[in-house]
Amino acid sequence: MKRGIYRIKGAGNKGKEPGESLGERLARLFEIPGEVCGNRPKVTAIGRGEVLIENFKGIMDFQSNMIRINTNNGIIKVTGEGLNIREITNEEIIIGGKISNIDYDA
Amino acid sequence: MFLVHLWNYIRGYVIIIVAGRSIERFINICSKRQILLWDIVRLDAASAEMKASIRGFRLMRPAAKKSGCRVHIKKKCGLPFFLYRFKRRKGFKVGLVIFSAILMLSVSIIWDIEITGCEPEKIPEIMSVLNADNIGRGSFKLKLDPKIIAKKIALNVEQVAWVGVEIKGVKLFITIKDSIEPPVLIKNDEAFNIVAERDGLVKKVEVYAGTPRIKEGETVKKGQLLVSGKLESKNPEFGTRDVHALGKIIARTWYEESMPVSMVYTQKLKTGRTHKTVYFRFLDRRFKISGGDLPFEMYETVTEEKMISGPFGLRLPIGLIVENSSEIVEKQVELTLDEAIDVTIETAKENLNKRIPADCTVVDEMIKQYEGDSGTIYIQVIYECEEDIAGLEPATEK
Repeated sequence: MKRGIYRIKGAGNKGKEPGESLGERLARLFEIPGEVCGNRPKVTAIGRGEVLIENFKGIMDFQSNMIRINTNNGIIKVTGEGLNIREITNEEIIIGGKISNIDYDA
Repeated sequence: MFLVHLWNYIRGYVIIIVAGRSIERFINICSKRQILLWDIVRLDAASAEMKASIRGFRLMRPAAKKSGCRVHIKKKCGLPFFLYRFKRRKGFKVGLVIFSAILMLSVSIIWDIEITGCEPEKIPEIMSVLNADNIGRGSFKLKLDPKIIAKKIALNVEQVAWVGVEIKGVKLFITIKDSIEPPVLIKNDEAFNIVAERDGLVKKVEVYAGTPRIKEGETVKKGQLLVSGKLESKNPEFGTRDVHALGKIIARTWYEESMPVSMVYTQKLKTGRTHKTVYFRFLDRRFKISGGDLPFEMYETVTEEKMISGPFGLRLPIGLIVENSSEIVEKQVELTLDEAIDVTIETAKENLNKRIPADCTVVDEMIKQYEGDSGTIYIQVIYECEEDIAGLEPATEK
């Protein structure tokens, strides 16, 4: 029964703008930063040698010149040279190395 | 960042190498299971190197199984592993215990005593008070009560106004404040006479108060009244008045010493044989290191102390004491008459110098030689001195 409800909800959301969930709309209403309420990723690039991604789902690919990270808004691909994961926890991942690109849905 | 490194070092961590097809999956499972991973570097297509905490490493097994990766430790880092190495070593543990015992012992004893604030002449007196209670270098701090020590010093050392005893670290500080002796009061309303302290010929009379009863050039005997405390008025009608006589009576005095001349002189000779004893000194105790019992019957000893000085001018109570003893043989030497007389004169003069009071000056010296009954020659040395023979004595009513 429960499963059915979820599916209906999921099906309903598909038609709308991606990422415009109820929580996010509420967040916009109350002017709360988006990453707090929803689970949209927050990408912070510090200089050229460090990228911090919050609210990620998991890493999909990890090579020394390319790292792909799965998020709620699609896949983020970080390319560069000598990439490494400085730290990885449940919520955030810090990528180090000489970064050249941050691409979405790649 | 430094703090993070330090924290990781204290908690301990492992550098592991993960090998397998799906390392990404392994990392994902780990992050979902709250296992912190850091510094992940891809080595090649099938392996990666990463760091994980000890706790994380223990929880890693299911993740490795699920992802089909093999995990092995490359290196163990951090304090727990460092300490673990010492866990098995018994000698290390014993050493640790001994070290801490020595440390505890050494900080609980007095290493040095510092006495400040008083005249240097008093220090031996204070030290003897401390020695009487067995307080010295090496006594335990716990046994010492600064208040009691202060009381004892104040009681047993004269002319001390205030004593402060303080234990700072391993040093015992004793601060002394000297008290000022009350001046001797001359009571002008009491009659005092000046009498002769010893026999002599009066050379100079200086009277500040009182009536002189002697004149210059007179000989006086010990105890004779020199200046009377009764002041007589020029006008006999006014009678006499009692005063405290004051004055200087400079007189010639004589001291003599006679000795028989001995023709035999005992001379002390070094045989050239020496013996060295070395002690190790710790605090006030000494332990013999080398050198057995002294093989000599008579000897002279020269003691040499070698102290080890620490940094900042600190005097460490550790050192060596070297005692050099040299053997001595007594030898009877026959002297000629002249030599014998010279030796006798020297000894007589030495004896005289010990006897004469400090405030007298030697004006002249005479040496006489005479023969005794049994043919022995005697030497008489006479010192002629000048000194103040005024001595105060309360006037008794006569």
